[in-house]
Amino acid sequence: MEVFSHLYDGLAALAGARPFIIMVVGVIVGILGGAMPGISPSMAVALLLPFTFGMTPTMGIVMLCAIYLAANYGGSITAVIINTPGTPSAVVTAFDGYPLAQQGKAGWGLGISLIASVAGGFIGIAILILFAIPLAGLALKFWPAEYFALALMGLTTVASLGGGKWVESFVAVLLGLLLNTIGMDHMTGTSRFTFDIIRLYDGFSFVPALIGLFAISEVLDNVESFNFNMAKIEVADLKSVWPTVKDYMKLKWTIARAGILGTVIGIFPGAGGTIASFIAYDVEKRLSKEPETFGRGNPHGVAAAESANSSSVSGALVPLLALGIPGSASAAVLVGALMIHELRPGPELFTRHPLLVYTLFSSLLVSNVILLALGAFGSRLWIKVSLIPKRILYPFIFVFSMIGSYAVRSSLFDIGVCFGFGVLGWILNRYRYPVSPIVLGLVLGAMLETNLQMTLMMGGPSLFLTRPISALLLLLSVVLIAWPFIADMKARKKRQVQKSKGK
Amino acid sequence: MKKSLLFVALCLVILSAGAALAAYPDKPIRVVNYAGPGGLMDVTSRKFISVAQKYTNAVFVVENKEGAGGLIGMQAVLEQPADGYTVFAPTTSVVMKVLTSNKDIDEYVWGFEWVAMLMRDPECLIGSDKNAVHTWADVVKDAKEKNGAQLWTGPAAGGNDHLMAMKTWEVAGIKAKWIPYNSGPEAMLGVLSGQGVVYVGNPADIGGREGYNIIAVSSKERLKSFPDAPTFGELGLMGMDDETMWRGFCVKKGTPEEAMVWWEDLLKKVAADPDWRSFLEPDGIEVVDWGRDKFTEQVKKDVDDSLTYMKKYGIIK
Repeated sequence: MEVFSHLYDGLAALAGARPFIIMVVGVIVGILGGAMPGISPSMAVALLLPFTFGMTPTMGIVMLCAIYLAANYGGSITAVIINTPGTPSAVVTAFDGYPLAQQGKAGWGLGISLIASVAGGFIGIAILILFAIPLAGLALKFWPAEYFALALMGLTTVASLGGGKWVESFVAVLLGLLLNTIGMDHMTGTSRFTFDIIRLYDGFSFVPALIGLFAISEVLDNVESFNFNMAKIEVADLKSVWPTVKDYMKLKWTIARAGILGTVIGIFPGAGGTIASFIAYDVEKRLSKEPETFGRGNPHGVAAAESANSSSVSGALVPLLALGIPGSASAAVLVGALMIHELRPGPELFTRHPLLVYTLFSSLLVSNVILLALGAFGSRLWIKVSLIPKRILYPFIFVFSMIGSYAVRSSLFDIGVCFGFGVLGWILNRYRYPVSPIVLGLVLGAMLETNLQMTLMMGGPSLFLTRPISALLLLLSVVLIAWPFIADMKARKKRQVQKSKGK
Repeated sequence: MKKSLLFVALCLVILSAGAALAAYPDKPIRVVNYAGPGGLMDVTSRKFISVAQKYTNAVFVVENKEGAGGLIGMQAVLEQPADGYTVFAPTTSVVMKVLTSNKDIDEYVWGFEWVAMLMRDPECLIGSDKNAVHTWADVVKDAKEKNGAQLWTGPAAGGNDHLMAMKTWEVAGIKAKWIPYNSGPEAMLGVLSGQGVVYVGNPADIGGREGYNIIAVSSKERLKSFPDAPTFGELGLMGMDDETMWRGFCVKKGTPEEAMVWWEDLLKKVAADPDWRSFLEPDGIEVVDWGRDKFTEQVKKDVDDSLTYMKKYGIIK
């Protein structure tokens, strides 16, 4: 196999202290950047971009990819420990990761998110190395009609997010979609609900909104209930809360499914890790024998989310390397990094600079191993956060949320956005409306709208049904949204039958 | 006592006058980019700075103020004092954004002094040889058959590439529809996958990517780096040989003359530098060293052209 000999050459190019240090630095920066709310993977990559100017192009790209990979994991740390997703794609990790931490099982949340990230990462990398070129063809099959259908399918996951609260979840997702209409209409350039505030032209920044909805609302909730006494956790207890190899093995199919799903969804430019983790979570919940435990600390939920978002990293590199089209915001920064070194992303890289491509592939494998080691070491530090008393921890969360929101665009406006969404989240929590569907609405709103508009411009509504993949995805969406209702009705009928029999 | 106080005061006055007279630049210059790190203008300004370091000891700090298609970056510069220490790095598309979003042209365009235009990147039409329609003759035939339903792709509506499309349609006497994608690369993917037949961009866009060909390029003669690409003139489309996308630097109106002259002078040195040229010329880009007069004239032409076409096609009122 030619691939393996190339890979061997790539690994050989990584031998030596310098490449190793570069990857270690990349992974550390990535984990820390990802963990800091306000610094998304693409920002972490961008921040270190200037440092790569002095390196060889290969080493520069190796470092940036290590950051990209590690940042996707880093986001889960704060999601699990303090319910503050460090990256948008870690939102889903918080669904079950934070409940685990609340039950005193932060070690489970952290351990599973690390192992699932690394394993998902390996799945994605393997698919990237073996099938990059044929998979890129898949990106060509996706027209706006398919993107719309995919986004709609993403929206159907709302049915499982609310835990049986249909109406509340539906209201929340609509609220998210409505908030998404703020900003400039992409097709016509008309500003909507911006009140001539330039900061609103691109809509609300996603990260501050996210931090507000999750972290600030949680802080406000605790301030309101005035309950700062924690269940006492002893240091000795912490040592025993890590999952065992046996526990991890139970998650293997979840990780595998989510890993493949994440890679595939990552291929489509504009879809990305966040949607991948929502869909993977939904799939696992539907397949589970105990779906009611999702959202209350089910390890499968954490594993699905993390495996999917980590594998989407490799997915996003598929169109970048095979077509020269970045599959995500972070991949777009990599394009800039290549350009600085006067290299063009695309198939030409394989033919003209094969060593660079295969060194990059090998470095992803090595970086993933480094991530495992550093992540395991780091987790033992992070878990200590659960020992910090709430009256100290919460003010810190509040301050970091504000700093993180400011950091995204160096804008005071975003601090207001964060606080506003915090209050919104707090009110919704109080009246028992789930918050996560809002995130779904915010993530998918623009994708739904622009692709709907584009399809209508291209050939009218019939395109949705005449294009096979689009029709299939739409049909699947209908089934997914109808299924819980049908199951509910069946269960009710069964109960009635049993009742009448009992009489 | 009084005398010594007077002396101290005098010293302070002399010192501060000395500071004011110190040659520009005597502190770091912030170069504000509207593109994110790794974006086209970000890469360009960083490269410019790295070449400029050969000719000046000035310290440059690149800042990325993304958002609203460049308006946030522009606003950030306009909020700073007009002292030449905050420089904006625009491209043609920022000027277009001011127009499409109905912002005050006097404030957002003429509130700047356009001091340094670095390059002219010729506009071109790109097709995919994987599609049946990929030469100019094909495009015209297909457009007539589809009678207005032919699809052209590119980034934002009302942007420079959209303007180029509208000009081409008018000169060629054809009708087509503009489908705006989120980004240039996504629009290119749209052509490769057969969603549209023409992508409007620049020659460098096809570099490194397979399956694309240049249908027509806006230049007087064929480009050295793209000898197979016909010019608009060769295809019988007259008056289309000077459509470009530029990148440059501008400062807030009221900036001291000294600073503006310094920038014009620096540009002359960088434009002649072989490193700078080898960064741009292989992409078919013309390196220029236009100062205020010629740059301002270019911006005026862009504003007038865009207003005419955008009104004609109903993009603005």
